[in-house]
Amino acid sequence: MQLVVNILVLASIYALIACGYVLIYRVSRVLNLAHGELMMLGAYLVLATASLFDQHPALALAAAVFLSLVSGGLVYVFLMRKMTGEMVLAAILTTVALGIFIKGMVVLIWSAQQQYPAQALGVSNPSLSIGVASISLWSAALVGVTASTYASLFVFLRFGRWGMRMRAAGQNPLLAAQRGINLHGIYALAWCLSTLTGACAGILMALDSGFTVNMPVIGLKAFPAALVGGLDSLGGALLGALIVASAEVLLIYYVDPLLSDVVPFLVLIAMLIVRPWGLFGTREELDRV
Amino acid sequence: MFKKTLLGTILASALGLPAVAQDAYVIGLTGALTGPPSSTYAPAVEGLRIYIDRVNASGGVNGKPIKLILEDDGAQPSKAAANTKKLITQDKAVLLVNASLSSTYAPMVAESKNAQVPLLFASGVCPQSVYPPADPLQFCTTGYAANYDSQAALDFVKANAKGAVKIGFAAMAIPLSRGEIDHAESLSKTMGMTPVDKEVIPPPTADYTPFATKLKDAGPNWVYSWAPWVTQVRTFEALRKLGWKDAMIAWAHLESETELPRLKDDRFYVIGANALFQDDLPVHKEIIEAAKKADSKYPPTMMTEGWIGGMAIEAALKAAGWPADAARIRNAMETMKLDTKGLRGSVIEWTKDNHFRTRLDYRVYRWDSAKSSIVRVQDWKSYAVK
Amino acid sequence: MFRPTPRASGYFRTTYAADAALVQTRTEKIFLLLFLIALAVLPFAAGPFILDLACQFLLASIGALSLMLLTGYAGQISLGHAGLIAAGAFTTGILARETGAPFWVTLPASALTGIVLGFLFGLPSLRLRGLYLAVSTLALHFIVVYLGGEYETKRGFSTGIVIEPPSFGGIALRDGRAWYFVLLAAAAACLLVCVNLLRSRSGRAWLAIHARETVAEALGIGIARYKLLAFVISSAMTSVAGCLFAYYRGFVSIEAFDLFLSIQYVAMIIIGGMGSLLGAILGAAFVVVFPYLIENAIRLLPNAQRLAGDIFAVNYAAFGVVMILFLLFEPLGLVGIWRRIQNYFLLWPFKQRPLAGGRT
Repeated sequence: MQLVVNILVLASIYALIACGYVLIYRVSRVLNLAHGELMMLGAYLVLATASLFDQHPALALAAAVFLSLVSGGLVYVFLMRKMTGEMVLAAILTTVALGIFIKGMVVLIWSAQQQYPAQALGVSNPSLSIGVASISLWSAALVGVTASTYASLFVFLRFGRWGMRMRAAGQNPLLAAQRGINLHGIYALAWCLSTLTGACAGILMALDSGFTVNMPVIGLKAFPAALVGGLDSLGGALLGALIVASAEVLLIYYVDPLLSDVVPFLVLIAMLIVRPWGLFGTREELDRV
Repeated sequence: MFKKTLLGTILASALGLPAVAQDAYVIGLTGALTGPPSSTYAPAVEGLRIYIDRVNASGGVNGKPIKLILEDDGAQPSKAAANTKKLITQDKAVLLVNASLSSTYAPMVAESKNAQVPLLFASGVCPQSVYPPADPLQFCTTGYAANYDSQAALDFVKANAKGAVKIGFAAMAIPLSRGEIDHAESLSKTMGMTPVDKEVIPPPTADYTPFATKLKDAGPNWVYSWAPWVTQVRTFEALRKLGWKDAMIAWAHLESETELPRLKDDRFYVIGANALFQDDLPVHKEIIEAAKKADSKYPPTMMTEGWIGGMAIEAALKAAGWPADAARIRNAMETMKLDTKGLRGSVIEWTKDNHFRTRLDYRVYRWDSAKSSIVRVQDWKSYAVK
Repeated sequence: MFRPTPRASGYFRTTYAADAALVQTRTEKIFLLLFLIALAVLPFAAGPFILDLACQFLLASIGALSLMLLTGYAGQISLGHAGLIAAGAFTTGILARETGAPFWVTLPASALTGIVLGFLFGLPSLRLRGLYLAVSTLALHFIVVYLGGEYETKRGFSTGIVIEPPSFGGIALRDGRAWYFVLLAAAAACLLVCVNLLRSRSGRAWLAIHARETVAEALGIGIARYKLLAFVISSAMTSVAGCLFAYYRGFVSIEAFDLFLSIQYVAMIIIGGMGSLLGAILGAAFVVVFPYLIENAIRLLPNAQRLAGDIFAVNYAAFGVVMILFLLFEPLGLVGIWRRIQNYFLLWPFKQRPLAGGRT
């Protein structure tokens, strides 16, 4: 039972991070390797807003989430906008460089110490028990946020006007632009949403157990989940996260905890050999990259 | 060769390279000031720097200032190697200090050996080569020491456990921590305990609960961890979240004094070689004051290791006199006795073949919710080093 | 030397030998000679610190050249470069430590490891392109690093494997100057191999594959064969660089080969300028020297000692900024700047090539 809960929590973490990769990749074919850093930035922003809105944890959290959304937009406007239509490698490297920059800046501002936003906000993290298993409050919140994020993204992309435009831009950017869709607006929206979901993941993980500047590595570990499911499919990301998380949790419990580090990447290689575009990815696009 | 050297010298002087004329003791330090593990090392380096600044402000050593040159290696071995080379060849450091991850030791030792410059480990774990028989060039002041730590921790467990001990272990997936936990596991068997489970946890881990689940299901009534602080405390927190009620003992890293009040758990013990600020010694007040004056971004409670390193440097230079070259400092260090003013249980004494210390003492602390403060549960317990 | 077009004012070559010559005009010969003299004199003029920097640069340039061959010419993206360097270094370290094998055994053994791994790294390229290929090399990097870490732990080398300096005829290679010349020779050899490969059949095949695979295949180029060849050659050279690294630093440790190293190498070829060997060399020089420049610049500020803990975070951030600036504003890299300067003098007093009478 506890194993099921563990899988659920880990899968939610990976899924919430992975949907950030998917959102950006789906509309602009850019792989954002700075996603882990942007996620960490969200957690640091909580530290900043916590000191600003003393005694109002909800306000501080809302402010941090809003700031992450804005920073995602800023990243697009000042950086990625210029990379539109450039080589794949150049765009990926720009995000890598952005990641390096963010990491340097947060160390400069907040030092490299272990940080506890929950303490700064003055909120606690009690353990809830469901039957025989237990889950911490913030982990439960994370599962909830992941579920509602995916639900609203599905609805948004399926029925929302802007969601439809996003899908159109992903399918054929040139045609979409010629039909009057503001591509820059769409891309900026994708970056905003992606940073927002990433920051939510970062904030909730940090509230659960604190964080260090090491956090981006977790962002990287969530990447296999996105790829296994198919880089341009949200449903795929959800399933991929579930597969990777189950593999990890079960291997830790039944085989060797050390394997958990390489297993996501082994799954990834297996997937690349068998079906490179992922479980639900679009096949044709492999040739377009 | 001679001709080449001569030519080189002439060219160097022609090109106007800086001539070497120093009126200060030059100490070169390379440390993990950035990079993933820097949270353990950067505060120690800060403490060391503040200590040396204080020495300089009060007139230096033997009337000469200490010039401390800090280099960052980001815990990367190749950067540490380049830094060491620079410190030796360009800055002409007469004493090297390492405050970084153990992976930087090999390149640094190689460089120090080449140039015959003594090397002090001042916040990374002490390498095997400072224990008897010690390498002539390597010295160590760091509190934690492989094998002895586990011995002391398990002794404490044995003394405090009621009934049979079923012990679980947690290590980080880095060679050092894994090696020590393996040692502790075999040690526990000889001490009549039953090791039930051992978790080796990779450093970047999103969720510790899966590991903790396995550990808890093995049913230990004690857990011992000797790993970087993150792994120790996150394993413990995950265990508590799962409803595990028994006791855990872990190494008292720099962070413990700020972390115990956060955890507020009466059954989380930390064992360490440094006196915590809770003991409120005069030297602690000194550190707090100096840190405040330096406007440091790290809490003073995390500076003890660096402070002791600074004390050792000052004492070594004082004993070596002026002018001092690398060889004289090394000779002075070999017979040095360092009074840590109570930060450690006994005097740090180096001898010709022991560059670690002759005695090693441990204190154990925990949080006491009744008193709402950290309390000491075991005073200095002394171990002789071979 | 790095330009495909002849340097002389016209096409004066009358023999095949002249056509194949790497150095064509007398001026070029003179400059090359001066350059060689400067390289030979450098270790005697420079201090030991500069010498170490030069050695680091030479090591980096071997890695950068081989990555340029793969990415800049054959168009195959790799994020697993650090894994290959690690493989070479570990082959050397394990052989030297376990069997006491000398230099002339470990070097070919490292190259062999590189060839095998290059083949394995290359296999996904037959199926994958662009992003997916990059990700598969990234995954392979993690696996190489995992294996190396397991070896270190299992054998108890938790602080890395220390290896003795290589010896030639009983004389151990310890001196910085001797190392400089050894590395210089290695880098020069590597450069020559690259130059010659690129103007031969395989180089042209790579360029064709890079441009468009379908067309290349229609032209009768064996795509699979040449892709694998690019991976194998590039990996072999990279592994040799790893072997030299292990000997030069005197140790092997898995922490020295993290993802950031791969990124640094990719940064070298981006900053230097894609599709140019000169670019790889310039990029290597830039990436090696840049952190020291920043460090020294900050140390000049007042109260530098207090900033010591911050210098490095600044350095890290600055590296990111420079990479971004190059990607945004100078996609051709340093070599683009260099060519602009060259053209400026070449065309002077014109701003652009005049329409009539220009060289093609």
